Amino acid sequence: MTRPKIQIDDLVREMTAEEHEALLATGWTEATDEAPTAD
Amino acid sequence: MAIKTFTTGEVLTAADTNEYLGNAGLVFVKSQTIGTTVSSVTVTSAFSATYDNYVIMISGGVASTDMNIRLTLGSTATGYYYGGMFAKYDGTNSSFTAGSNQSFLDIGYASVNALSGKGELDSPFLAKRTVLRSISTGTSTTYFMNNYAGFLDNATSYTAFTLTASTGTMTGGTISVYGYRKA
Repeated sequence: MTRPKIQIDDLVREMTAEEHEALLATGWTEATDEAPTAD
Repeated sequence: MAIKTFTTGEVLTAADTNEYLGNAGLVFVKSQTIGTTVSSVTVTSAFSATYDNYVIMISGGVASTDMNIRLTLGSTATGYYYGGMFAKYDGTNSSFTAGSNQSFLDIGYASVNALSGKGELDSPFLAKRTVLRSISTGTSTTYFMNNYAGFLDNATSYTAFTLTASTGTMTGGTISVYGYRKA
């Protein structure tokens, strides 16, 4: 499974497993068909 | 500083021109072009002792779906407090909201049409609480506008910030950073 991409200044790379876990912990999802919500 | 005015036919000297350029209140610091299908963008060397207060603007580009764009400072992922209001364009959802000890502050909205966001930051480089005031305008008919204010509850000095999609990814567009000249 390909992990999401992260950008630091001009460098774009795939997230590390740890970075991916941290992103998922914020509630981030890859799905694009969910209803938007206000935080 | 007094602002010099000119009369018709008077010569505008190099010294006058340079003085006017140096008197700009809002000064460009840097910009960052957003890559392709990235979930987050970190902008380094954005804050320094040169300025205390900043504006971050997000424009152009597209998102993979309706999303919030979240701001974090440095590597800090806790201690963000905010309050504000939001309203959905179709009128079905509007309210006041608040968040305590959150992992981010909202600074923008995005859709398949464009990214959009503007935030004023107080004191990110100072070893003080950093304050954010943001106005976010959704760029799709199914989304929201909001007006939030909040702060990060620590006294850490930051030079970098990260914008992260609440869901999906961002492609293209520009993040611009400006500083308010102090003197």
